[in-house]
Amino acid sequence: MNHTPPKGLQISTPTDTTIVLTRTFQAPRRLVWEATFSPDKMRRWMLPPPGWTLTVCECEPRVGGALRLAWKNQDADPFMTLQGEFTEVNPYERIVHTETMALASGEPVGSQLETHEFTEKSGVTTMRITQVYESKDARDGAIASGMDEGMEACYVQLEAVLAQPA
Amino acid sequence: MVLDSSPRLDRVFHALAHPARRAIVRQLSLGERSLSELASPLKMTFPAATKHVRVLEAAKLVRRRVSGREHRCSLYAAPLEDAMLWTEQFRKHWEARFQVLDSLLDEMKAAEQSRSRRPPR
Repeated sequence: MNHTPPKGLQISTPTDTTIVLTRTFQAPRRLVWEATFSPDKMRRWMLPPPGWTLTVCECEPRVGGALRLAWKNQDADPFMTLQGEFTEVNPYERIVHTETMALASGEPVGSQLETHEFTEKSGVTTMRITQVYESKDARDGAIASGMDEGMEACYVQLEAVLAQPA
Repeated sequence: MVLDSSPRLDRVFHALAHPARRAIVRQLSLGERSLSELASPLKMTFPAATKHVRVLEAAKLVRRRVSGREHRCSLYAAPLEDAMLWTEQFRKHWEARFQVLDSLLDEMKAAEQSRSRRPPR
């Protein structure tokens, strides 16, 4: 079911608790790093799930620095929060942070350890994000989240994919 | 948040977790194949191909029928629909984000070049 063009986003699940996302960008890794971890830039590209709005976005990419995000939706403000801490920072190369998502009530939704790795070749940067979840269920839940929307679009796309040879 | 713990989905994901088995699924998406027809383009031994086909069968992704001396394999896509729906939405969400990041990076590159007196590298 390898229907994804190799240039685009690659997603794999090498272990039961892991998701790996790999994507190339036409920019030096210094800029990719800056865009990924500067709050003003993050606000632009970290599109929330449909119906959510990003209300808090703080990111301090240094060891011990905080990552803090919050979203509101029509039911609650905040509806969901994300809190984490940077545990390893090697500028423009590798950065590791923890993160815990929680409902506004404080009820935790899940935690993961996320590693970003950047490699640059001829001005093209490959960013590899490794997400390690606490359990297989948590990993599966992360993939499944957001499935409520766009189900119909998915079916349409699926039909198209299955209709094509390879 | 949808938490899905379906044993069937587990088997599908396990089956697709191996590149050789994904290659077999791809081959079979072109049509029915015998075990030896599957093994040779993948540079796989016959027993290795058989082993992978068994895993795909357990996930109900592949069906095998005996025709004379041959075992013919075909793709049965219904379980794939579950798996694809599941990951495809996740992929789309991230790809949408990264496409915005692409244009943001273009802006940043342009801003940096206009700030710099030196010609762009």
